[in-house]
Amino acid sequence: MLYGYNGRALLVDLTRHRSRWQKLDEDALRRFIGGTGLGAYLLYEHCPTGIEPLSPENPLIFVTSPLVGSRLTTSSKFSVLTKSPLTGFIGDSLSSSFMATELKKTGCDALIITGKSAYPCLLSIDDGEVDFLDASELMGLSTLDTERAVKGQLGHRRRVACIGPAGENLVRFASITNDGGRQAARTGPGAVMGSKNLKAIAVKGTQSVPVYDHDALNEIGADLTRRSLGPATEKYRTLGTMANVSVFNSLGTLPTRNFQQSTFDGAEGVSAEQFHESNFVKNAHCANCTIGCEKILVTSDNGKKATGRMEYESAFALGPLVGVADGNTVIRASTLCDELGMDTISVGATVAWAMECFERGVMTKENTGGIDLRFGSGEELIECIHFIAERKGIGDLLAEGSLRASRIVGHGSDAWAMQVKGLEMPGYEPRSLKTMALGLAVSTRGACHNRSSAYEVDFSARVNRLEVDDERGRITAEGEDFSAVLDSLIWCKFLRKAFDDLYAESAEIYSHITGWDMTADELRLAGERINNLKKAFNIREGWARKDDILPPRVFDEALPTGVAAGVGLSKEDLDMMVDGYYRARGWNEDGTIPEGKMRELGLEDVIDILAEAGLIGD
Amino acid sequence: MVEVELPADSSSAILAATLANAYPQLVGVALREDLAGLLVSYTLNLNGTEFVESGKLALNEGDTLLLFSSQAGG
Repeated sequence: MLYGYNGRALLVDLTRHRSRWQKLDEDALRRFIGGTGLGAYLLYEHCPTGIEPLSPENPLIFVTSPLVGSRLTTSSKFSVLTKSPLTGFIGDSLSSSFMATELKKTGCDALIITGKSAYPCLLSIDDGEVDFLDASELMGLSTLDTERAVKGQLGHRRRVACIGPAGENLVRFASITNDGGRQAARTGPGAVMGSKNLKAIAVKGTQSVPVYDHDALNEIGADLTRRSLGPATEKYRTLGTMANVSVFNSLGTLPTRNFQQSTFDGAEGVSAEQFHESNFVKNAHCANCTIGCEKILVTSDNGKKATGRMEYESAFALGPLVGVADGNTVIRASTLCDELGMDTISVGATVAWAMECFERGVMTKENTGGIDLRFGSGEELIECIHFIAERKGIGDLLAEGSLRASRIVGHGSDAWAMQVKGLEMPGYEPRSLKTMALGLAVSTRGACHNRSSAYEVDFSARVNRLEVDDERGRITAEGEDFSAVLDSLIWCKFLRKAFDDLYAESAEIYSHITGWDMTADELRLAGERINNLKKAFNIREGWARKDDILPPRVFDEALPTGVAAGVGLSKEDLDMMVDGYYRARGWNEDGTIPEGKMRELGLEDVIDILAEAGLIGD
Repeated sequence: MVEVELPADSSSAILAATLANAYPQLVGVALREDLAGLLVSYTLNLNGTEFVESGKLALNEGDTLLLFSSQAGG
C-alpha cells in the first residue's frame, strides 16, 4: 500500500484528445520527492531533446507533493515544469492553494500535458475522468473572469488553473493563474499553455491519499503551526514582503531605473508602510496556511479602481525599476498583470529596458507608437502592459522579453537587458549583494532569487555583502539544495525559519506521511540530486559555462548612489565565485557534471542520454 | 528615522533598553521582553554596511542604525 502519494501521473494528449495513466515507481518518488524535484524528473523523461518550447511536444507538467492534502501549514502547493519559452532551459514555477489539494484528489501526483488542441480547450478532470471541452467562449477573458466562467459552467467546487490574454498571445513571460489570482509566472509557463490552445484546466476529486501515521503527523503539525505564528514569520504576517522596499533602499540594494541605481528617491511612495496606510484592505491566506502573507490592496485615488495582491517583487518591478513612485499606479499595474496573466518581474524589467532605450534615443515615439516611454511614466506603463498582453504595437516586441527584444532592436541595447539566461532579474541588486550575484548567475532557471535564497547570507554578519570571497560557491550550492528540498516537499519558503533543522524535521514528517524511513542526510542528498538533474536538463538543451553570467551593466558600471556608491563587480570576481560554485558541486571547470558525480547521486537515468550527446564530463 | 543617544562603547542590550524607554510598543515585537537585545526576527545594521549580530556596538557620533526584519525573502 502506498501512503502520501497516488503513485501515478495522468498523461493528457491535447492533439488526439486522449489520456492515460503512467505509474510512478517508488524509487523515483523517493529520490525526487515531489514538486519541483519530481517535476524535473518527469520533464527530463517527457521533453524531447532540443524541441522548440512553444511546440506541441513540449510537456506542461503540474506536480503536487507528498505533503499536499496533509493539512500541514503552507503545504498546499504545486509546481509547474516545462521547457521555458523565455530561456530555452528548465522552467519551473510554484503556485499555491486549493488547486494543489484538488489536483491530488483527482488521483494523480502529476498531470503531464502534451500536444495541441485543434480548438480552444477547457480541460476537465473529474476524479480522473478527462473531458476536452470547447473553450471558445472563454478566449480573450482575463484570468479572474475565466475562473469565474469555468466555475459557473462546471460548478463552484471546481478548482481552476488558466491563462489570460497574454498566454493566449504567447507572451513569453505569461503566467498560469489559479485560485483567484495566484500565479505560476516565472519562466513563462502560461505561454506554453497558450501554445497548446489550452485556456483552462478545471479539476475536482474525491480521492484522499492515506497518511501512514496520522497521530504522529498531527502532533508535529500542531507544533509547526504554533511556530508558524511566531517570530520566524513575523514580517510576512505584518508588513509582508513589501517591507523590503524601505530596507533595500536603505541598504543600497533596491534596483532602480533598470538597475542604473540601487536607491530610489521615490521609495517611500511604494513602501509597505505607505501601502498599509493608504491602500491596505486585508491579509489573505493560501489554503492550509497559517501565515497569511498576502496583502490585499486597493487603489485610493480617483482613477479606475483596482484591487489585488501586492508582493515586494511586483512593487519593485512596477515601481522603482521603472521609476514609478506612485503607489496607486503600482497597484493598478500589478493587478493588470495578474488579470492579463503575466509575470510582474519580467513585465517591469522589459518595460524598464524599453524606457532606457527610449531615453538613450535608441527608440523613438515612432517605435513606441507615440508612447513617451520615460522612467516614471505611470500611465505609459499601464498602456504598455495592455499592449504586451495583446502583442499590439510595441507590445509585440516587448512580449518577447528583454533579451530577445534587445537583439531585435540592436544598437548595443543588449547591454541594458537585465536578465540571466533570458529571465529578467528580480529585485536584488547583485553589485551590493555579492552572494546573490552568484546565485543569480548560476541558477538553472535564469535570474532567480528563490532557487538559492543566496541573499539571506548577504543580509547577515556571516559575509561582507559588498565584497567577494571563495566561500560563496559553497554557500550558494547549499542554499540551492535547501531550496530544492523546500520546493519538492513542498513547503512555502516563508516557513523556512520556523524549522530548527529543516532536513531532520522534514525527514521525520516525510516518514510519517509515506511510511518510508527518510533521514536528514537522504533528504539533503535529494536536494543535491535535484539540482544536478536540473543542470543536466540544461546541459542537454545546450547550456554552456558562458550562460552562467550576469548582464554587462553589472560589470561595467559601479553603483552611483546610496551606501553602496562606488561598489561594482568585476567579471573576474564573478568567475572566481562561479569556479568556487562548480568546485563545491563537484563539477568540472566547464560546469559539466562528471559521470562519477551522477552515479554518486543516483542519476544513472540521465548518464546515457548525456554521454550519447558527448555532454558529460569525465 | 528617530534619534537616540547611546554611549560610544554600547551594546545591543543598551540599545534595546534605550529604544524600549522611548518606544515601549517595540517590546515583544522587535525587542526581547527582558531587553537583552533584539528578537531573532529582527536584525541590526550599522550605517547600511555592517550587520551587527550580537553583543558590542562600537558607535561614533552620527552613526545610523537600521533595525529591520531578519526575514529577507520576498
